[in-house]
Formats: sequence, structure tokens, C-alpha cells
Amino acid sequence: MSPQTSLHDPVFRAYFWIVLTSLTIAGVVLGFLRFVLKKETASVFKTYWSWILIAGIGFVVVFLGRIPTIVGVTLIAICAFKEFAHASGLYRDPWMTGAVYAGIITVGITSLISDPLGAEHGTGWYGLFVAVPAFAIPLILLIPILRNRARGELQRISLAVIGFVYIGWMFGHLGFMANARNAYGFICYIIFATGLTDVAAFTFGKIFGRHSLRSEISPNKTWEGALGALAVAMILPWLLRFSLPSFGPWQLILTGLIVGIGGQLGDLSVSVIKRDIGTKDMAATIPGHGGILDRIDSLVYVAPLFMHMTGYYYPLR
Amino acid sequence: MKKWLYDSARDVDQAATDRLRQFPREPDMVIYGLRSLGALIIRGLLHIYNHFEIVGHQNLRTNRSLVIVANHCSHIDTLCLLAALPLRKLHRAFPAAASDYFFQSVPRLWAAAILVNALPFARQARVRESLSLCRQLLANPGTILIIFPEGTRSTTGEVGEFKSGIGALVAGCDVAVAPCFVDGSFQAWPKGKRFPRPRKVRLVVGRPRNYRDRGTDKIDFCAIAAELRDAVNELRPANGSR
Repeated sequence: MSPQTSLHDPVFRAYFWIVLTSLTIAGVVLGFLRFVLKKETASVFKTYWSWILIAGIGFVVVFLGRIPTIVGVTLIAICAFKEFAHASGLYRDPWMTGAVYAGIITVGITSLISDPLGAEHGTGWYGLFVAVPAFAIPLILLIPILRNRARGELQRISLAVIGFVYIGWMFGHLGFMANARNAYGFICYIIFATGLTDVAAFTFGKIFGRHSLRSEISPNKTWEGALGALAVAMILPWLLRFSLPSFGPWQLILTGLIVGIGGQLGDLSVSVIKRDIGTKDMAATIPGHGGILDRIDSLVYVAPLFMHMTGYYYPLR
Repeated sequence: MKKWLYDSARDVDQAATDRLRQFPREPDMVIYGLRSLGALIIRGLLHIYNHFEIVGHQNLRTNRSLVIVANHCSHIDTLCLLAALPLRKLHRAFPAAASDYFFQSVPRLWAAAILVNALPFARQARVRESLSLCRQLLANPGTILIIFPEGTRSTTGEVGEFKSGIGALVAGCDVAVAPCFVDGSFQAWPKGKRFPRPRKVRLVVGRPRNYRDRGTDKIDFCAIAAELRDAVNELRPANGSR
């Protein structure tokens, strides 16, 4: 991955046009709803503008190459954890948050460097990357011991561990995929498919939604929206087969299931956290979306599952 | 099992810029990191570009609360005073900055809130509120307030009249007040110029004073302000740049 290869890579270029077309179509549909049918669309438009911004930044970062992509993913993880720490109150403990930040940065570094012993070919130190939790969790557990404290520490340990593993390490898989041979295909597909599935769930839910999916967790999600999103996610791998060149039918079905079911489970997982904390959104960083963690929640769930599924069938790098 | 209590930050549902505008700010490791990094870069630049030099460094060495009072010719003054503090005290040091100038436009807000850790000071209306906020901060030991009592940047390089608000802040209050003189900052970055120029800048720190025995009348406030102005002016080096 580099600016030169991005310019000539057919997959990257195809995704650029696909995303541009999708956003244009969405804009036309929203404009039609607003100006012809006179529907109340102010909040959706806010979300839409933010989508344009996200897509723009995302394309620039992926275009710039492997290192900017990994650094970008690490920065997003840092911001997302920051929101999580602020919402859950963990931010008051600088030791715990510091340990988690150190862990997130380590995930980024292991994605950037190569195996120093040369046992793995290609960039990225996969062996250490998957082992980072084995070091980060002991570090988190070490903090109360060093500070000689026990009261209330289980809560802080739990918040720090979930913060690191879920936001730092699982989301870090998206950055590690920049080392894959088919990096453009994997990264563009996963981000586009998860984003589109989210939009599909919202749209189907708005149009057909009757039956609440999980009333105690997220009252606005419906079974109709979830099934519609799953249908979109199952069709998408076949339509975008060019970006997953070596995949057979079985792998395409698995991809659809991971994105369609995993994406929505990721959304619900973050909703469980938010519900228990008692906030609606993690933060108000992105207008119309909530916090950064609210935006990447599906991706956090999907990226590691997709990467390890691919890694099981084919050599990743 | 006992119920877990999540003590969320007060600013969770605020947009990023509103979060920067609010004061006191919530502790935030990312911002602390950015600020420390920025401070190192600024210190390096000051030394290389402006041959920055500090005289009387030992006068700032205290673990109690401290009010630093200085003359004001340019934005460099704030950076110099911050550069005189140890890095670990940076996040407890609050330069009072005009809320109408620094807390409206977004780029200035970023610089003021993240890099400088500025305290939004209302200089037209609601001065009293700002002063009581300052006093609350000082009650917490280890707080450092950086105040330019002239209220604005000098356009001549001379030290202007000090506003009586500085007297109201420190009169009858057991807090050390360190007068400081920043020399050469007017030549380095006068008001209205876009970029700083490579001129020598020197910071002279005077011996800290205390005004705990003073009365709390308007006359006392003005007297303290005048005394502090003289104290700052006396620190002007004899061979200083004019």
C-alpha cells in the first residue's frame, strides 16, 4: 500500500467510485424526501454530512498507504477509548487509562513493524499482535498491586480490560489488515459493508419496523431492520466479489454472516455498555452519529472475526 | 452483588469544541499528552529562535499556590512563563486569557485550551465571577495562575496601568504573588504582527510577595495593583531591550 499503488489499484479505484455513487444516490433520495415529499429530515441530513466527511477522511488515509492506515486506526482507537473512559468514569484513574493507552499503542506498533527474527514473511508482527492481550491484561492487573489498593479496583480492572481488548485490540485488527496481500480489498470491503449494513438496518427499521429486537437494550432497533440488514450483508459479498478474489462460495457466505450478524451484535454490545452507564451516546464527537465509539461499534466486532476467518482459509500476507 | 457506580464525566454529551470551552476542564490523558509534547516543542523553539533565558528561576519553586503577575506585550509572554515551570506542573498552571478573544474562534480555542490550558477570563462583564473562579482554583494547593493585570497587550512595550482586579484577587488571601518581567517579547512579536521574529527574550522572576494582611477595600486593591506594577517594572533589566 502506497499512494502510487493506490492510484493504479483497480480495487481501490472501484471502491472510490462505489462510495461516491452510493453517497450521491443517498443524497438524491434524501433531497427528494426533503424537498418533494416535505418530510422532516434534518437529523438524517446531519448524519449524511458526517458520512461524507468520514468517507473522505477514510479514503485519504487508505490512499496514503499502510503506515497512515495503521496510525489512523490507532488514533481512532485512542479517541474511542477516551470516550469510553469518560463515559464510564475510568478517566479519573490515570494509571489505568495510561496502561490501556500503552496497550493500544503497542497494538499499533506490532502492526507496523516486522518480525525481528524473520520467521514471518511480510510486514506486521502477527505473533506478537495476537499476543498483546497476554501482556496488556497482566499490566492492568499489576496496577492495583503496585499502588497497594483493593477497594473498587475490580470495577476499574474490568473497565480497563474491556476497554483495551474490545476497543484497542479487536479494533486494531482493522489496522493489521493493512499488511494483508489484498489489503485494499479487505479494508475497503469491511468498512463499506459494515457501514452499508448499519444504514440498511436503520432504513429497513424506519420503513418496516414493528417488532422490537431487544427492548431492554436498544428500544429503536427492530427485527425487521436486523433481517433487512442481514439480507443486504448476505448479497453484498457476491456483488463485490472482485475485492475478495480468492474467496469461494463458503467464504463469501461466512463473510456475509460475519458482517450481517456480527455488525449488529457489535452495535448491541456497545448499547449494553451505554445502557448500563446510562448515556444515550458515548460522546458528541461526530454530529448525527454520537461518539466515535458509536460509529465504529460494528466494525470493532466484525474486523477481527473477518480477519481470522480469512487467515484460517488463506495466508493473510 | 453491589451495584457498580459509573461516575461519568460531566461533558460526555457535549461536542468537542464545547468541551474545550467549559472550565474547569475534566482530566484527560490525551490532552495532557498533547500539552506536554507541545510544551517541549515550544521550549525548544523559544531557546533556538529567541535565545530564551530565565533569571530568578528559584523564585518559582513552591508547592503551594502561586499567582504569577507579568507585563504583557505579546503572546510569547504566556509561552515564556509556562516554559519557566516544570512539566509536571503544567496541567495545574492556568494563564488567564480573555474569553472574548481566545474562546470564540475554534483555532484559538484549540491553542488556548489544549496547548496553554487557559482559564477563560471575562474582562468586560462578569469580572467578579471570573475572579471568584480564580480564588476557588487558588484554594487548591499547587495551582498556578498566570495573570497579565494590564488586561491587554501593550502596543508600546511599556508597562501599562494594572487593573485593580489583581488587587481584589490577592488582597487578604494567603497566596504567594511572583512579579515577573518578560523582556524583549515586544520586539519579538508585537501586537498585530502575524509571525514572531527571532529576537532575544529574557524572563526575570522577582521575589514572591504576600498580601494576606491587606484590607479588602477598593483603595487597597488599587494600591496593591500599583505596587505590583512597580515591582514588575523594577525587574526590567538596566541594559534591557527598549
